Amino acid sequence: MTDVAGRPAPEGQTACPQCAAIGDSADRFCGSCGATLSDIRRVAIPRGRDALEGAEAPCSDCGNATFVDDYCTVCGHRRPEPDRDEAELGAIVLITDRGIEHARNEDAAAAGMVVDGGTERPYAVALAVCDGVSTSGDPQIAAVAASKAGVDAMLAALAAAGKGRAVVLAGLAAAANAAATAGTDPSNPPSCTYTAAAVVPTPEGTLQITVGNVGDSRAYWFPEEPTPPQQLTVDDSLSQELIAAGASAESEVVQRGAHTLTRWLGADAEATPWSDSSVLTVTTAGPGWLLLCSDGLWNYLPEPADIARFCTGVEPAAAARALVAHALQCGGHDNITVVVFPIGGAHEFA
Amino acid sequence: MSSPEVSGISVDVDHNPYLAEGTGTVDAIVSITAGDDVVAAVAAPPDRLEAIIIDCSTSMQSPIGKFDAAKRATAAAIDELVDGTYFTIIAGTEKASAVYPRDGWPTPASAATRAEAKRAVDGLRPGGGTAMGTWLAHVRGIVVGHPGMLTHAILLTDGKDEHETPEQMRQEIALSEGQFTCDCRGVGTKWHVEELRAISSALLGTVDIVADPTDLADDFADMMRTSMGKSIPDLTLRLWTPAGARIAFVKQVAPTVEDLTHRRVEAGNQRGDYPLGSWGTEDRDYHIQVEVEPAAAGREKLAARVSVVAGDEVVGEGLVNAVWTADTEKSAQISRRVAHYTGQAELAQAVQEGLSARKSGDVPTATAKLQRAMELAVESGNDGTAKLLRGVIEVDERTGTARLRREVAAADEMALDARSTRTARVRKED
Repeated sequence: MTDVAGRPAPEGQTACPQCAAIGDSADRFCGSCGATLSDIRRVAIPRGRDALEGAEAPCSDCGNATFVDDYCTVCGHRRPEPDRDEAELGAIVLITDRGIEHARNEDAAAAGMVVDGGTERPYAVALAVCDGVSTSGDPQIAAVAASKAGVDAMLAALAAAGKGRAVVLAGLAAAANAAATAGTDPSNPPSCTYTAAAVVPTPEGTLQITVGNVGDSRAYWFPEEPTPPQQLTVDDSLSQELIAAGASAESEVVQRGAHTLTRWLGADAEATPWSDSSVLTVTTAGPGWLLLCSDGLWNYLPEPADIARFCTGVEPAAAARALVAHALQCGGHDNITVVVFPIGGAHEFA
Repeated sequence: MSSPEVSGISVDVDHNPYLAEGTGTVDAIVSITAGDDVVAAVAAPPDRLEAIIIDCSTSMQSPIGKFDAAKRATAAAIDELVDGTYFTIIAGTEKASAVYPRDGWPTPASAATRAEAKRAVDGLRPGGGTAMGTWLAHVRGIVVGHPGMLTHAILLTDGKDEHETPEQMRQEIALSEGQFTCDCRGVGTKWHVEELRAISSALLGTVDIVADPTDLADDFADMMRTSMGKSIPDLTLRLWTPAGARIAFVKQVAPTVEDLTHRRVEAGNQRGDYPLGSWGTEDRDYHIQVEVEPAAAGREKLAARVSVVAGDEVVGEGLVNAVWTADTEKSAQISRRVAHYTGQAELAQAVQEGLSARKSGDVPTATAKLQRAMELAVESGNDGTAKLLRGVIEVDERTGTARLRREVAAADEMALDARSTRTARVRKED
């Protein structure tokens, strides 16, 4: 079961879709302009152990079925975090999975839209994927905070009719701030990647897809054939820098540097670890799939066409699950997160 | 019996959750605090009943002035009774007899009843023996006739329990446990600390010596004021432990050391209840040690769930978890407060064992125990006990050699014994 879209964010703050004033999520009307606030829909994963509610697995130690505060009521064993969380928001499907090798999931994803309260059609959509840097302390805290803050800030900017580029930059700034302030141990602050997309219809009947990223989580656009699938983001990694400097993608130095980040979000990052080239906008008329993912997926499917193959002729949930299953079959060396958003065209928007 | 509403009791757990692989001993200090707001918020405190037992044995006649001081102290305690508090005054000899009201049936305090009671006390004359068990039995009889009341007794004696067998006294204490609380005071130096401690410990009260009878009045007034401040009736410490775990001990460690381990009452579902008595605005610390089954590194278990229960309601809760790790730096750390209170419990024991050895003439054991006690008291900043220890043992600061003092005032020794369980709180970070 998916989280109820539009449930107030736990942070307790939300932005008015009309005037972008920040108010209490519990408010039904904007304290600034009086507009109804029920037109924001949001979801974020992973939702932790609570996601297991209703479908509780018995204690892995003693088989007892009840837990209080996540501890088994018989043997005291702490219930593990669920390995996977899935959510849907409209046509958007989000999955995050611990993978096989890592002890915990340090990825996070969030999605949100500003909708017409009557038809539930979106005015605009915002997506984000974050991947915690595993050498930092408790990176999942930064990943969760940055993905949620990024989507919230993009929704606020979208509600204020911001243009795609400004919207994504607003999300980047909020995500950077959230990641920088998320940790509790200043000696080893958490850090994460951040990849976001904003989808806004234009008056011309086309759609503007704007992506922005810090780190090596990616965004792809898979238009209908024959237009080739496209990677929209450029990794902030050592190998990418070497390739840019002329090294061969197949060379050993490039292979070794594939997972060395040159930019990230967190307290120990640069103030604005992004540049103009970190944000890119494409305009499209026709249908296609927008996909965001962490390197736990693209490691096994490095070429855009490899991933695009999974996204034809199936429901988005089936496509997302098949992609995650593929990464797991290949070894699941990292956490795997994927967000897919099939877009028919501007007519699907309000 | 309905219980008043209590909420907002805070339960803080201080422990190092990290355990080395293959080990399973979890130590935690649990601090329970009832703040002013909590005490003030008790919706309908139960009726209160106070019993003052004044020793009227023949020995109270001497020295001159002792019995008068006891009467004045009782009057001072009567003056502290809040209007409406039920009370009774009992004369204790080889039996217990009602002093006020005459019929022995407690009456609500008012200006008139307080004055009458003081007149009745003033007319008392000592004469008779000492059988404290019968005194407790008398109070118990009153408690049975007043179900649901919060009953507290003050027991004053000057001598040894002589007119009943130790077994009779033990039985009476056991029967009184959980029925009422009792603070005990010994005046002079002819009474036995262990006897009164057996009563006060079982009945969740305090014990002390009042060496100088002229200090009695202040002490009695203090005790009564403290009792008047206890508006939260019986709280219970409820301990859940995982299947297969063993509770090594549950001890109150502040303000005094009191082993509660054997007071456990099974409460079902792997839970046991330990009675904590009535509470005012105060905080108490408990040291809990649980043995859990060892687990592999990376695993986490709940070693204990500590609940504070009022009536049937959980009013505060704390969790004691255990996390196994291969990182010995983490598992080797001992919580500062666990270390401190482990030392305080050892201190109380060393004092009692040292004094007992001294009485039986075992000088080497007495010297070793009391010297160790002195080290612990000084180290931990327990100035009260350190000061009392100096009355019985001399430690040469340069050489570190210790010897028992030859001349020890009986009152000093008894004060050290009676107050040996008082602990120092953890010092602020140096």
